Amino acid sequence: MLDAFIQGLLLVLQWKAFAFMLLGIGVGFWVGLLPGLGGATTLALMLPFVYNMQPVEAFAFLLGMHSVVATTGDVTSILFGVPGEATTAAIILDGHAMAKKGEAGRALGAALASSLVGALIGAAALALAIPVVRPLVLTFGSPELFMLAIVGLAFIASLSAQGARGMLRGFLAGGLGLFLAMVGQDPQAGIARFTLDSLYLWQGLDLVPVLVGLFAIPEILDLVVRGTSIAGDTPAGHISHGALQGVKDVFRHWWLTIRCALIGTFVGITPGLGGAVAQWMAYGHATQSARTPEERKGFGQGDVRGVLGPGAACNSKEGGALIPTIAFGVPGSTSMAILLGGFFLLGLVPGPDMLTKHLPVTFSLVWTIVLANIITVGLCFLLLNRLAALTAVPGHLLVPVILVLVFIGSYTTNSSYADILVTIIFGGVGYFMVLAGWPRAPLVLGLVLGKIAENYLYISVARYEAAWLARPVVLVLLAIAIGVVCYPAFQAWRARARASAHA
Amino acid sequence: MNWKHAALAAALALVPLAAAAQANFAGKTVTIVVGYKPGGGYDATARMLARHLPNHLPGKPTLIVQNMPGGNSIIAANHMYNVAKPDGLTIGTFNRNLPIAQLTGVQGVKYDMTKFAWIGSAANETTILAIRNDLPYKSFDELRKAKENVIIGSTGPGANTHDFPLLLKDLLGVKLKIVSGYSSSADIMLAVERKEVDGRAGSYTSLRQFIDRGLVRPLIRARSTEAGVEKLPVDESFAQNPRAKAIMALRSAPEVVARPYVLPPGTSAEIVKVYRDAFAQTIRDPALVAEAEKAKFDLEYTSGDEALKVMREVLSQPKDVVDEFSKYIKFGE
Repeated sequence: MLDAFIQGLLLVLQWKAFAFMLLGIGVGFWVGLLPGLGGATTLALMLPFVYNMQPVEAFAFLLGMHSVVATTGDVTSILFGVPGEATTAAIILDGHAMAKKGEAGRALGAALASSLVGALIGAAALALAIPVVRPLVLTFGSPELFMLAIVGLAFIASLSAQGARGMLRGFLAGGLGLFLAMVGQDPQAGIARFTLDSLYLWQGLDLVPVLVGLFAIPEILDLVVRGTSIAGDTPAGHISHGALQGVKDVFRHWWLTIRCALIGTFVGITPGLGGAVAQWMAYGHATQSARTPEERKGFGQGDVRGVLGPGAACNSKEGGALIPTIAFGVPGSTSMAILLGGFFLLGLVPGPDMLTKHLPVTFSLVWTIVLANIITVGLCFLLLNRLAALTAVPGHLLVPVILVLVFIGSYTTNSSYADILVTIIFGGVGYFMVLAGWPRAPLVLGLVLGKIAENYLYISVARYEAAWLARPVVLVLLAIAIGVVCYPAFQAWRARARASAHA
Repeated sequence: MNWKHAALAAALALVPLAAAAQANFAGKTVTIVVGYKPGGGYDATARMLARHLPNHLPGKPTLIVQNMPGGNSIIAANHMYNVAKPDGLTIGTFNRNLPIAQLTGVQGVKYDMTKFAWIGSAANETTILAIRNDLPYKSFDELRKAKENVIIGSTGPGANTHDFPLLLKDLLGVKLKIVSGYSSSADIMLAVERKEVDGRAGSYTSLRQFIDRGLVRPLIRARSTEAGVEKLPVDESFAQNPRAKAIMALRSAPEVVARPYVLPPGTSAEIVKVYRDAFAQTIRDPALVAEAEKAKFDLEYTSGDEALKVMREVLSQPKDVVDEFSKYIKFGE
């Protein structure tokens, strides 16, 4: 085991593999920064280049690219409020709010440091999970996956706004998200639902144009209306100062960072949940760390915990996502499905052999994730001043550039004008939700989890009838869901009790 | 009079010359329109062909792949039929089940599969049913005699993971219980591993690694075949009546044309011939064959004429067969 661990490192450190990894990082860096253009698409485009490489070189290239996309995606999300990747939308809420307060440097520092911690934890989890990976993945059947989706929804709906009214709005927004997830051909009877007679909607609403619309358009409008730079009147020199402060924040909230990284890893391991869920779950958990209602109000307005939580989760999920791919030959995400194609190209058959005969290759994957992230985070820190300074550029210079990138980004989803239309419509929805104080996170999560929840509920009932309700893990998850919904009420009660005790 | 004849003869002689000149692609860019997003089998095959096809086309044009996903490929097919120019600079590849969509009158279909200028198909897909190795049924005969339901996971109507076992169940009376809604065939495989379902149907290509590993065992296949599964029994051979046989045959007919390649309708015969020849040579090109082998792709060449024959066959079914067929099969994926 230890042998394989070291052998894996040596494999990556061969000059050719290392050079390919650097190349991959270079590509991934830009893909992450550009909104819309996703990691999965890029992987598919890069796959033909690996034909003539050795396995370790090819994975250093592909995985090196893939594992930095989320890191630089965070940067775009924080600086411009435009999701750099579908998986990095949650960090916008507090990250971009910090940028607007002139704390872009601190937000970037926190995001990068937590990304690194997350990547390391994810890789460690992958390495540690290797002996127990099969039972671990097999514990989660369709009933458990359905309950996980419910827990995720309850989590976000109850945590993304305060008070009874906020909670109600959270659940309503979540319901709207679930409804939007129903658009498209249903997988049980094959009937087209809510497709408005258009072929575009047949395969459902794509996440990227919806996300970009919901989050980027309101920020752009806000920037135009304010007529200043993103950071407002904050002097340019001040903006990048906080980077070190951001790194310190990660260590100040060390356990929160670790917990969020573990959430990310868990979401990654669970096939079917999808990477877009990881950041939101971590964000929800980060808001739970607020002790008083006043503290809770700070979330969404630039609390650093709302940055480092999602930052940690986004990168730790990559290690986790490799687990089902390697152990079963069953990919946990689109990116992993493409990576699986890479395995075949190189003559490796993913499956139990990867945990025994090809263990050094498996460990070289772990090391690639670790090294790629260390290099990227280092690189980002070098560029951090320049990046943060972008928030001091006057809005009228910045807006045209962002708009072009935003619309090209959503157009790449289906290469259809309808992508642009969806972006604009959800831009309007997002703008009014912000104006009226409705949380957008539950809507996104409803959309992401809606299909999963519907399908796994159907499968659970069709397969086990009512018996699925009695499965132990289902019951535990149900208890968690109820606990999560009641938690804010409990918190309020405790605060009241404390206040009366003091009085 | 004579000079007129001469002029006419000269003009006639020029026609093929002009056409031949037209079919030279030097310095041109040819676009392959793919009806799916990057990442799937259709896309990967197109990208592989895009690297090798230019070597066999006159003038070695540049080939690029453009993804046009949506409507299970109907959008791409509509584009190829109505928008793309028949100048040989746009090729289309899409869902093999598009003739089924046309046959069953799916809303939004604005193409006629028999009117495309067919280049051919790059692969067969054999649909098979495989069940977990630890189940007591060693052959399809034993499965037919099963007393208890065997649970089959599926991704949903319109996919071969669903339609193939559905016909086994409804037309042959095999005791199957189909649980649909898995998000991908990979997801079903995981459900097989954790014994949530007993097996799945799907293309042999996608199931092969799990068969080789001993997780599942193939029991029955559809009509189209490829190396490795020729000996499996064919679903149609168990049909009790001609109607059932016709429905099963119709479902599997497009599988011979699993990676269809077409030019827009009205493309000149010269250009079509150039493409058909180049396509046939490309698929037998040792460089491509070696690459496909590495990627575990099975490429089988089907000529444009044969592909067109399959389309005509599917689309010329009598109304009662189509009505009966539509009861079981919906277009999808």
